[in-house]
Amino acid sequence: MAEGETVDIPQERQAEILALEAKLKATHFEVLGLAPGATSEEVRSAFHALSRKFHPDRFHGRQLGSFKGKIDAVFKRLIEANNVLTDAEKRQKYLDENPGLRGSAGGAGAPSAAPAVKTADEEARDAERRARFARHPYLARASRTQEHITKAKAHIAKHEYSHAFSLLNIAAQMDPQNAEVKALLNDVRKKNDSQRSETDLKRAEELVSQGNDDLALQALRAAVNANASNHEAAYKAALILERKGADVREITGYAQKAVDAAPGRVEYRVLLGRLLDAAGMKALAKKHFEEALRLGPDHPDVKKHVKKRWPF
Amino acid sequence: MADREPVIGIDLGTTNSVVASMQDGTPTVIRNRGSSNLTPSVVALSKTGKMLVGQIAKRQAITNPTDTVYAAKRLIGRKFSSAQAQDAMKVLPYTMVAGEHDDVRVQLGEKKYAVAELSAMVLRELKADAEAFFGTSVRKAVITVPAYFNDGQRQATKDAGRIAGLEVLRIINEPTAAALAYGFGKSVNGKVAVFDLGGGTFDVSVLDVSSGVFDVIATGGDTYLGGEDFDNRVIEWLVFDFAKENGVDLRKDRMALQRLKDAAEKAKIELSGAKEAQVNLPFISSPAGGGAALHLQRTLTRDKLEELCGDLVAKTISICEQVLDEAKVKPTDLKEMILVGGMTRMPKVVEAVKQFFRRDPCKGVHPDEVVALGAAVQADALTNADSEVVLLDVTPQSLGVAVAGGFVRKLIPKNTTVPTSVTEVFNTSKDEQSTVKIMVLQGEAEVAHHNELLGEFILTGLRKAKRGEVEIDVTFDINSEGIVSVSAKDRETGLQQSIQVTASGGLTEDELRRILDEQADMLLEARSGEELTAKKNELKALMAEVEELLPKLEQSTQGSEFGKDAAIKARAALDSARNADEGLLLAKVIESIDVMTRTIGLFKGVLDRIK
Ligand SMILES: Nc1ncnc2c1ncn2[C@@H]1O[C@H](COP(=O)(O)OP(=O)(O)OP(=O)(O)O)[C@@H](O)[C@H]1O
Ligand SMILES: [Mg+2]
Repeated sequence: MAEGETVDIPQERQAEILALEAKLKATHFEVLGLAPGATSEEVRSAFHALSRKFHPDRFHGRQLGSFKGKIDAVFKRLIEANNVLTDAEKRQKYLDENPGLRGSAGGAGAPSAAPAVKTADEEARDAERRARFARHPYLARASRTQEHITKAKAHIAKHEYSHAFSLLNIAAQMDPQNAEVKALLNDVRKKNDSQRSETDLKRAEELVSQGNDDLALQALRAAVNANASNHEAAYKAALILERKGADVREITGYAQKAVDAAPGRVEYRVLLGRLLDAAGMKALAKKHFEEALRLGPDHPDVKKHVKKRWPF
Repeated sequence: MADREPVIGIDLGTTNSVVASMQDGTPTVIRNRGSSNLTPSVVALSKTGKMLVGQIAKRQAITNPTDTVYAAKRLIGRKFSSAQAQDAMKVLPYTMVAGEHDDVRVQLGEKKYAVAELSAMVLRELKADAEAFFGTSVRKAVITVPAYFNDGQRQATKDAGRIAGLEVLRIINEPTAAALAYGFGKSVNGKVAVFDLGGGTFDVSVLDVSSGVFDVIATGGDTYLGGEDFDNRVIEWLVFDFAKENGVDLRKDRMALQRLKDAAEKAKIELSGAKEAQVNLPFISSPAGGGAALHLQRTLTRDKLEELCGDLVAKTISICEQVLDEAKVKPTDLKEMILVGGMTRMPKVVEAVKQFFRRDPCKGVHPDEVVALGAAVQADALTNADSEVVLLDVTPQSLGVAVAGGFVRKLIPKNTTVPTSVTEVFNTSKDEQSTVKIMVLQGEAEVAHHNELLGEFILTGLRKAKRGEVEIDVTFDINSEGIVSVSAKDRETGLQQSIQVTASGGLTEDELRRILDEQADMLLEARSGEELTAKKNELKALMAEVEELLPKLEQSTQGSEFGKDAAIKARAALDSARNADEGLLLAKVIESIDVMTRTIGLFKGVLDRIK
């Protein structure tokens, strides 16, 4: 504190602020008063508890003197620690750079019910060896990539493709030449897209049944974007757009996508035919109507739209 | 407690404003002198030359349309040439003119008023109401703004407070205030979402609440989406059919426009309870060629209203989607969902919200008052040492600097908790560059001129050296009051310059683009090793993919013109990507990533079609 300055903060709070200021350079866990490896829920609640005491707003309008800068610096540091430790990606990166902070989950000397009892000496040597390995840049990278692959595979097995996709994406960035990652990524990207597309389609169906065309349409558009061969989504989007009297080109676009993705579906052909017919493209329309007639002469759509119009 | 100076919270709304304060530990609305909780945000110059504010101003609007100002909030802090102001001119019956700095002025009688001055009149009215209630003078206030207001709009609101004789303790976000009021004095623990659709603006925020701490996780919205837009849809519908039948465009007649606006809003509100509403406007106009007066008489059904406004509702939902995504929460993770704003009484809005959030909105908060109550909670928290409330607020939009090539380098991403500061190293972008210009930008666009310019300054006297050799530390700092300061420091000489961002630049997008072009030589280049390495890795992976696909493509499009063309272009793109990969320019690497991504997309498209 500067000589003779008056500071309108209780003495003990001043001491706490000074103690935190002395910890600015400590690890993210220490700053928040936590043990290494604390979970993100623990981090958040520690951060909230500290905010209650040290947020600059708690000192609003008071005479702070040199403490103004200290409080600001301390609180920014708390925010930083909280940000890193509650964001999965940032946390992972931080722990990779500081493997000693993984805490019990990371195996750094935590008491556990391990079957084989090791002597303290062995334990220390092991730890040292692990640390040395972890420090080696190539190994660290390779093992992290491997870790990601293993996790990604577990997600794939559970059909959780979007998790797998993001893990593999990170792995690909860490190790761009890794052929396994590339292959997996390729595969998962497709699966993820089609899964997302299916989910969107289901949601759209729900929405339609509740009469909410606008949201349904949004979902269907997303479904088609994620997977251009989701013909059901494209077809349903076209139907809603038609109901809404949207721009013919847009409707036709979706109908065309549906037919492209599933050329054998009668109702798609009929819809596309109708749209083209209405737009004056009779020859093209005829082609689709004929195809529909050939595919399903007894299909209700054919009966309704084609036979009436095209008494071949 | 009784001798503590009273502090108030004010919700300065597009349509209505409310003032509240903490009384005996409970946030309470202060009624105005007309004993109503809501004061219309309307200001008028009466025919006798008197300034009217609030209900009395609103009441005379129909007979005095050109001298009655409502919805001023839609204009505050905006440029006259902005799309929004131009848009507003078409539908608002009063006269707007350009001020000296491309700001909006409103002509009332002989005088031109800045928008902040008009808002100040409403604030002064509320201040007087509070003073009447307390029987003492009131100076300190917290005022709310839409979360998505940018710095210029916030500054202008603060100015309005100052003009009204208030010391503005803090500007806080409306949805945050709503959450403060909702969570105050309850032991809520968990994440809550606030959906605020008012007269002019839409906001949505997600907060993590734990015994007194209100931690904003993400916020978003549209400062130009609200009840006024719903009204305008109804007006358009009325006007269009009327024009078809009678050949008269009612919008050209300001008196008619004011009556239409009134009738449209009334019908809209009625339809929140009824299935049908009558619009009855006798003697609305006279036919072009003379003759008997024309009347407008129509029935608006709820279905029709919903059809007219369906896309507006859909837009609010898609913004919710985005904000939840940014907050990394699913609708099912939320403890509670709070509806705020008069427009959330519309059944269609409630239905869409229910569907998206998959839950019933929280009952027991008053949508018109909750924002002002929250402002009062925060005003108390800032002045009362015993308060248990702490608000952890975030930056609503990203902040960054313009870099060579016309891009932005973001230093502080949106939704960052304040206070915060970030320093990044930049380089000169030209050989022998002795001056750099720091242009501080706010917004989400990657291209510089699509953002808002907050301020700029120059750092001179740099050592003459090859491009990239001189290093400049740029630091952004936002304190807990939300004030942004930016400084730049030459690492070698220690030379330093800084600004505190205080007012909006007042530039249009075109002007900003021109300035950026003219000053291209003075801009910086982003360096920041880490980011560059990460982006280069990303680029390498994409290049590898293109290299892998290229032979497949050539094989399968054998001989075709298209295939040859595509291969040639891809090779050229690969070459330039290799160059970027060897260089130090982040912007170039990002550009190449973009090109590679598009190339891959194209290739895949072609290969898929062939398969
Ligand atoms: N019952 C109702 N049904 C539909 N709309 C309503 C109803 N009651 C009020 N509104 C509309 O709500 C809007 C006003 O809401 P509110 O008072 O929350 O806005 P505000 O706070 O003034 O605006 P903002 O928060 O956007 O600045 C007006 O457009 C009004 O027409
Ligand atoms: Mg409001």
